[in-house]
Amino acid sequence: MYILKNAMHNLVRNRGRNLMIGGIVFVIIVSVVTALMINNTAGSVINDYQTRFGSEVRLSPNQQKLQEEARQNSVDGMMRLSVPQIAPEDLIKYGQSDYLQKAVYDVSANADSDDLIAVNADLGPGGGPRMMRMGPDSTGMPSGDSGVPGGGIQYYFRMTNAFDEFLNGTRTLDDAYDTTDFQGRFPDNINECLVSSDLMDASKLSLGDTVTVTSRMRDMSSTPENEIITEINWDLLIVGVYSDLTQTDNDLNNLQSAYEDRRNEILTTFDTITANMNDNPAGIRVNATYYLKDPDQLEAYTAELRNKGLSTVWDVSTDSAAYNRIVKPVVALKGITLTFVIIVLIFGAIILALLASIAIRERKYEIGVLRAMGMKKLKVLSGLWTETLAITLICLILGLGVGTLIAQPVTNILYQQQLAAVEESTVNQFPGPGGPGGMIQGQGRTVSGFMLPGGSSDVQPLQKLDVSLNGLTILEIVAIAILLSSLSGIIATQRITKYEPIKILMERN
Amino acid sequence: MEKDQITQNADTSQNVDTSQNVLMLDNVSYRYDGAKKPVLKNLNAAFARGKIYTIVGKSGAGKSTLLSLISGLDVTTGGDILCGEDSLNKIDRDKYRAQNIGVIFQGYNLLTNASAVQNIVLSMNISKSPEKDKKAYAYALLERMGIDRETADRKILKLSGGEQQRVGIARALAHNPEILIADEPTGNLDKETENDILEIFQNLAHTANHCVIIVTHSRRVTSIADVVYGIKDGMLAGYCSHGTGPEKV
Ligand SMILES: Nc1ncnc2c1ncn2[C@@H]1O[C@H](COP(=O)(O)OP(=O)(O)O)[C@@H](O)[C@H]1O
Ligand SMILES: [Mg+2]
Repeated sequence: MYILKNAMHNLVRNRGRNLMIGGIVFVIIVSVVTALMINNTAGSVINDYQTRFGSEVRLSPNQQKLQEEARQNSVDGMMRLSVPQIAPEDLIKYGQSDYLQKAVYDVSANADSDDLIAVNADLGPGGGPRMMRMGPDSTGMPSGDSGVPGGGIQYYFRMTNAFDEFLNGTRTLDDAYDTTDFQGRFPDNINECLVSSDLMDASKLSLGDTVTVTSRMRDMSSTPENEIITEINWDLLIVGVYSDLTQTDNDLNNLQSAYEDRRNEILTTFDTITANMNDNPAGIRVNATYYLKDPDQLEAYTAELRNKGLSTVWDVSTDSAAYNRIVKPVVALKGITLTFVIIVLIFGAIILALLASIAIRERKYEIGVLRAMGMKKLKVLSGLWTETLAITLICLILGLGVGTLIAQPVTNILYQQQLAAVEESTVNQFPGPGGPGGMIQGQGRTVSGFMLPGGSSDVQPLQKLDVSLNGLTILEIVAIAILLSSLSGIIATQRITKYEPIKILMERN
Repeated sequence: MEKDQITQNADTSQNVDTSQNVLMLDNVSYRYDGAKKPVLKNLNAAFARGKIYTIVGKSGAGKSTLLSLISGLDVTTGGDILCGEDSLNKIDRDKYRAQNIGVIFQGYNLLTNASAVQNIVLSMNISKSPEKDKKAYAYALLERMGIDRETADRKILKLSGGEQQRVGIARALAHNPEILIADEPTGNLDKETENDILEIFQNLAHTANHCVIIVTHSRRVTSIADVVYGIKDGMLAGYCSHGTGPEKV
């Protein structure tokens, strides 16, 4: 007890020296707290993205194989490169695997209807069959091109099962059309749908009306000489109305067709759109997103897909481009902070060791006096340790506080630098998709006949890294603080065991 | 046995009950590390309760060295020092220093950054003094040594040599040790305080029945000694003194 009291007295008695040691420990702790906070935050961001993008499987057509195929089929010197489609039932088959955590299907169909008058109908229909034209001098980079000569089929409407916008609030159920016997709701049975309020008004519809919608597609086997058109019809019951805020004024001013206007989207269920696809798959596009339970099982999953009949034209991969784009700056930052921590700790330890050594030398006489009075070595040591620990503890508390305060601004500066560096090196490698609007919505659409290389570049790197102090960081800091104070303690121990009190006192006398 | 002989010597030479002996030198020799000649050679002596001993000798004779051995700060290179039945070479010398003896060092050896009263309280803590209010006790003790409260609260660094000496004496007495060892304790004191201190020593030995061992040059100090030892050429010679000056036993 008196050891503790005496240690506290000593802290005050030797303020000058203690302030110097404390100052150095403080600087070390602030630096380490800041760096560790950044490091650990970066670590968890990397982990998060690793599971998100490392496990998201992407099926993309192998461009080389596609071109070879097109060259072989070329008749008039013009290569017609038709992007292969995976049949919806195959996509569903691929989704039934033990390797997968889940499979998400997004389905859409292009449609027309005599019962509906499209919003912005005067812009005319749009969309059309996707054919990729590749000239002989092609760079190999296909571009979405709807203007296929020979008359593509065009549409006013699009059916989809994507309800994501209701989650982020850009679409909401509109109760203005509710009547006493029909209140707007989401579709939960087959052949029920939601339409936009604008489409309701343009077509003069009420809740509970049924509309007939038709999807027409040119069959895969069609040739310009022999057009084969297939058709699917749906009788859809309007069970709800949505208000649409997904488009800005600028978007609306730049619309090329009514088809592009998202207010012409008819929202219905997966089962509704795919109900007849077995007879007539060509009219429907199914996008599937697969999530592996473990990113390392990609190879095994690929083998399973090949077994199930997936053509080698399709590459199976995880979304490494998006992963790299997002994670690279974070990884770089993590590396910097780790190096920083190591350097600070090495130099800090050396400085502290020297200081401890000087301090003990300075206190040799004091130690001699205590020993002469009969204080045991162990007690002298525990007194010194108590002093060091107290200094460390104070610095730890102050350091954690200050470190937490400056960590975010420091992160912002460092992260912006990394972001700029990575953006510069990747911006030309991953051009955005050239496909028409309305085709790719939400995030993580990975499997699609329209997928272009680097197609997930809509996934942007984090613009800001929010650092925070977590339990792990605190634990690490405490461990480092204990280690630092132990270092001084060990040096003190070693010195004290070496000197006998009489020798110390004699030197003095 | 050597020890028996010493005991007998002490017995016959000093005419006291051997059971009063608290400390005995048994053929003690000491040589500093690396020194050619030993400082102390085959010393034999006994120190008893209730008596004041002074050790005299020229500067460099080895008086301080002997005290450091007696006070358990160093160990003999030959022979033995016995505290009661136990050899100082074998017992827990930290505990011995803390509880059995009080040492007034020639160089005071106080904690210079702490106040006088803190020095004494710390010493009492180390020796596990049963005193309840250690601080009050320390102030009172210092008062007896002529250190007032204001001075007692000052850092040792800011005290004069004489004041430091008094604090050193107070500290040595703080835990009421059975053996008090002092190295030139009155060197820096004026006559009046010296008298006070000597009175304390006398009370300690003759009233409280403690053993007081003092290294000194002062005739006044020697005059109160019951036994005077002289060190010369590393050897110890015993004198008896009863206020009439050194007298061979
Ligand atoms: N640490 C030491 N190492 C070597 N010799 C020493 C040491 N301390 C003292 N001496 C020598 O031992 C002798 C006795 O010293 P000391 O006991 O201090 O004498 P005194 O106290 O009688 O004046 C002296 O010759 C001194 O030089
Ligand atoms: Mg001396």
